[in-house]
Amino acid sequence: MNEMMIKLTSVTKSFGTVTALDGVTADIQAGEFFSLLGPSGCGKTTLLRTIAGFEEPDSGSIFIDGQPMRGVEANRRPTNMVFQSYAIFPHMSVAQNVGFGLRRRRLRPDELQRQIDDALRMVSLEGFGERAAHTLSGGQRQRVALARALIMRPKVLLLDEPLSALDKKLREQMQLELRQLQRAVGITFILVTHDQEEALTMSDRIAIMFEGQIAQLSTPQDLYMRPKSRQVADFIGSMNFLRAEILRRQADRIEVRIEGLGKVELAGDQASHNADDQPAAGVRPELLTILFDETDRAAREVEGEITGRSYFGDMTYYEARLDGASNAVTISMRNTSGRPVLDAGARIRVGWEADSIILL
Amino acid sequence: MNRMRISWLALYVCVYLLFLYAPVLLLPIFSFNDSSIVAFPLSGFTLNWFALLWQTETLHSAVRNSIMIAAITAIVSTMLGLCAARAASRYAFRMKRGIMGLIMVPLVLPEIVVGVSLLVVILQFGFELSLWSIVLGHVLICTPFSVVVLSTAFNNLDRSLEEAAIDLGETRWSTFRLISLPLIMPGVIASLLIAFTISLDEFIIAFFLAGTEVTLPVYIWSLLRFPARLPSVLALGTILLAASLILLVSAEFIRRRGLRRTGATDRGGLF
Ligand SMILES: Nc1ncnc2c1ncn2[C@@H]1O[C@H](COP(=O)(O)OP(=O)(O)OP(=O)(O)O)[C@@H](O)[C@H]1O
Ligand SMILES: [Mg+2]
Repeated sequence: MNEMMIKLTSVTKSFGTVTALDGVTADIQAGEFFSLLGPSGCGKTTLLRTIAGFEEPDSGSIFIDGQPMRGVEANRRPTNMVFQSYAIFPHMSVAQNVGFGLRRRRLRPDELQRQIDDALRMVSLEGFGERAAHTLSGGQRQRVALARALIMRPKVLLLDEPLSALDKKLREQMQLELRQLQRAVGITFILVTHDQEEALTMSDRIAIMFEGQIAQLSTPQDLYMRPKSRQVADFIGSMNFLRAEILRRQADRIEVRIEGLGKVELAGDQASHNADDQPAAGVRPELLTILFDETDRAAREVEGEITGRSYFGDMTYYEARLDGASNAVTISMRNTSGRPVLDAGARIRVGWEADSIILL
Repeated sequence: MNRMRISWLALYVCVYLLFLYAPVLLLPIFSFNDSSIVAFPLSGFTLNWFALLWQTETLHSAVRNSIMIAAITAIVSTMLGLCAARAASRYAFRMKRGIMGLIMVPLVLPEIVVGVSLLVVILQFGFELSLWSIVLGHVLICTPFSVVVLSTAFNNLDRSLEEAAIDLGETRWSTFRLISLPLIMPGVIASLLIAFTISLDEFIIAFFLAGTEVTLPVYIWSLLRFPARLPSVLALGTILLAASLILLVSAEFIRRRGLRRTGATDRGGLF
């Protein structure tokens, strides 16, 4: 399983004065669901197109399944792509679209038909073969694009924001289906998205990109719990930052004073290597707890004051200022029956734990 | 106030349409009139003028020449237009604006300049004037129109469709044949028709570059010197009018059917 499928080494690509890719290095395993996540314009599409062979890198190398890809045209690479616009050929039927890539293989008509039927069944579009492609809905187009790429049995399937054109319900359903499909076919998927939730729920590993570089490449859990920089922490979920001061640093223990939370000793792996002498302590909104009841107790408690709130149905997000802190923090609380809604100005006790802190 | 403006607008439209089409309507009326003098009142119905056309051998060869020249011009300028439009919409290259600009120049160049300069060049090189020299001149003035029409078609074609075909293993050429060409076919047909029509009724270049054989417009012009032949010119005009109407309507019909087939939204078109 730990076989390497794609090896990117210092891949760089510029368009005129714009550096779209700035030394991208990454290994992608066979059978992995890999996501490229990042804000608009960070180079995700460019990286995908470079792997597909639509762009030639200025420098650096790309290996797919051990083969160097320099000079190999897109039509000779073992990759297939699902385009953001789906790129369904409008003048063909669904079956003609799905079977398009098999044209060159000169299959017997019945064998061709069987493969098309199989591919359509795989994306739950049985019986749609004779439909004209332009009569399909957005979700159906997406499935046709998927079937058309998967019928080629590529080593790597590249997907450029395949779900961004769908509405929320359908998008969530397709996320599940895509993940199941990937498990079933066992093909390496590389998904481009700017939706962090999508990346977190679907991927085995995620590469976070900023300005043409991979800022961090890791599993969803690791990215969420152990971001390596403030930029990554802020991009994945939301993160409260409080000023901190390192009091003592030992081999595997670090003693810090955190504004609003007080003195605490952290394990070595809670501090990122990037943490300089002006570090910030990061804590996720759901890892701070408002102690509503007099009798509620937490391992560590501090006091503060509510400054605002936003209601999200299942959750309420409180803005609060912890005593002695200069920044406000966000605390998310699940809404349960009987729990009061706090207004601005209310005094609160906030519970937290030492191992939910990361030093950045 | 509002109503006033609408009625003025309606009046303007009526006058405008009358000015545009009334002269054209006179054509069929006088071509069936039984008198060699083109004036009201009408004196009676006749098909003589059409019969006369039927017997004129020089007319037939002029029509043949014109159609042949127009067809070759349409095909050649559409092919040149395809290459230029695809390059302009798909690739970035040095001096692109300058090169595209130069292709477009004949659009604004007076035809008499094109005609005279081609004449000089052809004679200078010692070539004979023939129908081919007319084709040359017509391709020159028709190509810009083809480029404009086909550039629009290429720009409306989603680039990822071509990339998808290449991604699925096709070569550039087979992608063009299987994906691009069918999808820009309405533009190709429009380009063929426009070039055909422009070439068919072009006079100045055809006049300068004609050798012993003439095209239809040049032939008509030569008829006008004999007042007695005027009604047969009108009859010829009537036939041309009917032919171009049929051509136009069928072209639009084909275009709309093409759109329906691919479900594309209707952008422009003639009507
Ligand atoms: N063909 C091109 N010509 C010029 N600049 C380009 C080209 N393609 C991409 N760029 C530039 O490269 C940078 C990265 O673009 P890219 O499309 O890879 O971003 P992205 O991460 O996919 O963004 P988005 O989420 O908006 O799709 C951008 O600044 C973009 O303007
Ligand atoms: Mg993109």
